[in-house]
Amino acid sequence: MTKATEYVIEVDKLTKRYGDLLAVNDISFTVSKGEVFALLGPNGAGKTTTVEIIDTIRRLTSGKVTLLGMDVMKKKHDIVRRIGVLPQGFSSFDRITVRETLQYYSRLFRCMNTDIDGLIDLVNLKDKTREQYKNLSGGLRQRLGIAIALVNDPEVVFLDEPTTGLDPRARREVWEVLQGLKKKGKTVFLTTHYMEEAELLADRVAIISKGKIIAMGSPGDLIENNTNYLVLTLQSANEKAFEIVRKMGFKPVLDNHKDIKVRVEHTDDVQKILNAIKDAGALYVGLDVRKPNLEEVFLKLTGEALLTAPAGGRGAE
Amino acid sequence: MNLHVIGANLVVKLMSVYREKTAMFFTIAFPIILILVFGTIFMSQDNVSFHLCVQDLDQTNLSAQSIKTLELDGKFKMTKVDPAISAAQYVRESKVDLVLVIPKGYERSLLQRTMLGDPNASVTITYIYDPSSSSVLTKMQILNAVIAGINQKMSGTPPFIRSAKTSILTKKYRFIEFFIPGIIAMAVMTLSLFGTVNLNTELRQKGIIRKLSTTPITRTDWILSDILYQFILAVISTIAMLVVSYAVFNVSLHINAWLFAFILLDVFAFVGIGMILTRFAKEAQSAAAAANAISFPMMFLSGSFFPIELMPGFLQTIARILPLYYVNEGLRAAMVFEDNMAALRDSAVIGFFAAVVFILGIMATKWEEGQ
Repeated sequence: MTKATEYVIEVDKLTKRYGDLLAVNDISFTVSKGEVFALLGPNGAGKTTTVEIIDTIRRLTSGKVTLLGMDVMKKKHDIVRRIGVLPQGFSSFDRITVRETLQYYSRLFRCMNTDIDGLIDLVNLKDKTREQYKNLSGGLRQRLGIAIALVNDPEVVFLDEPTTGLDPRARREVWEVLQGLKKKGKTVFLTTHYMEEAELLADRVAIISKGKIIAMGSPGDLIENNTNYLVLTLQSANEKAFEIVRKMGFKPVLDNHKDIKVRVEHTDDVQKILNAIKDAGALYVGLDVRKPNLEEVFLKLTGEALLTAPAGGRGAE
Repeated sequence: MNLHVIGANLVVKLMSVYREKTAMFFTIAFPIILILVFGTIFMSQDNVSFHLCVQDLDQTNLSAQSIKTLELDGKFKMTKVDPAISAAQYVRESKVDLVLVIPKGYERSLLQRTMLGDPNASVTITYIYDPSSSSVLTKMQILNAVIAGINQKMSGTPPFIRSAKTSILTKKYRFIEFFIPGIIAMAVMTLSLFGTVNLNTELRQKGIIRKLSTTPITRTDWILSDILYQFILAVISTIAMLVVSYAVFNVSLHINAWLFAFILLDVFAFVGIGMILTRFAKEAQSAAAAANAISFPMMFLSGSFFPIELMPGFLQTIARILPLYYVNEGLRAAMVFEDNMAALRDSAVIGFFAAVVFILGIMATKWEEGQ
């Protein structure tokens, strides 16, 4: 097996400049066949620039990107036939129905045998086939966009922030569709700034900040390698509980104005805190002990919160 | 070039415009409104007749007969003014610009001249007029010509200089028939230019172009499908214009292959320009403003509405470098004069221009971003 077939995507020292702005700074990574790979980072980190260079929308400044064994700068025409793309802020023709839109894109790919009904089923749009695009909600539009990205039965699917701007319910519906893709064994390259999305869907995650990849691995490995504590949450706790925890030498923080969150290094510490609260007669409604998530990993690595990190890019990140 | 892809694009564009009924209606209605407005104005110019008030102070058979003669000339529609009132006051109060006054003693003087041969017998017909009127001088000149004709007849000798009219056309054409080809050229230009600019800037802003760049469609396929789409709209619009022109104004024009050839070249040229504008204009509004800046001078300078010979010399020179001028001239050569050589000449000029802007349009169309 050659190197080109081992990895579906190979990014080597990729750099992209917009004038003086360095949007992507010398990044390298690979994606294997059948893998769901997520590029996780805040707005302006360089996610969209990276994915748009790999899926041939943009041109790189330096470095080399190989997709399906082909150089993206030289073989665009051959590459686009074998990939599916949901670009950021996807949109389609207002007055064309769901079914017509899928037929249109399958004709562009000259795919005579596209299973339009199968795609409609996959993205759960069966009762919307005759609906024009302009009448679809944000979630339905994204699901149509994913179906369009699959009309040519692509070997690699690129999804650039597929759930940005969607309400939690619509986001979960899109996640269900993406889990369906994962089950079908598709190679998926996903960008997102939602850590739950990356954690739920991705086999591997690359965390990108200010154009640089700062960590990469499975969500579990990233958390394991970058954190050595547990997070105890005391739900709807009172002020007395807060004071007790603080006096014990821990650093509690108030979350949502009612929950107390505190980092502990050992499970013994959890028991000590609970006993102290009980002895003092302080109150809380429920409790939760869990490992840190990617949000906390990102916070630790960059010192910035994932959703609020400052934007550094222009237009595309 | 992939016919399958071009066909897919064409179908989507046609379905979109068909479902947007209001846009479709105004696309077709705008040139028809122009034809109806200008056609009505020109129709009255073809059968021009002036309103003329006559005050007959003589009130005799011969004076009445003379008035009848003027009326029969076909240039005037008469209104008789009461001999008892002041003609000048009538002009002021009735808002008319001219009253022709036939003096008392008209019949007597006429008989003296014709029956008795008295060379000194004459009458003076007075024009009471409002000099602020723009058409009164024309009316007086026509009246002078009619009176000169009567005087010449009464002299009994045949005129020395006669005039004869020979039209270069085999058939007499009305101004509306010269106007329709200009409106077709102008409407197709507007349709193609604004259609391309509006559609492409909208698709670019919505990110659809970015999505299309990840499919096998090429820039050439995209522009050719746009040209085909604009051509179909242009043909529909032209048919509507011709139907109205025939039904309302009973025009007589030659419908032949040249008409479709010039429509196609018109579309090619202005879709190409539209593609170039779309490339350089950042937003839909600035693209539309740029399209306006190109189409308006073209519309008025290239002879769509009136012959360029009416314009000053330097503007005529400018007109001859505008592509729409050759579409206007070519369509008139084909539809009015039936001059195939002239049509061929004009089609060669606009064809060359269309080929150049088409290639530039393909080069200017931005498929990848951030290059």
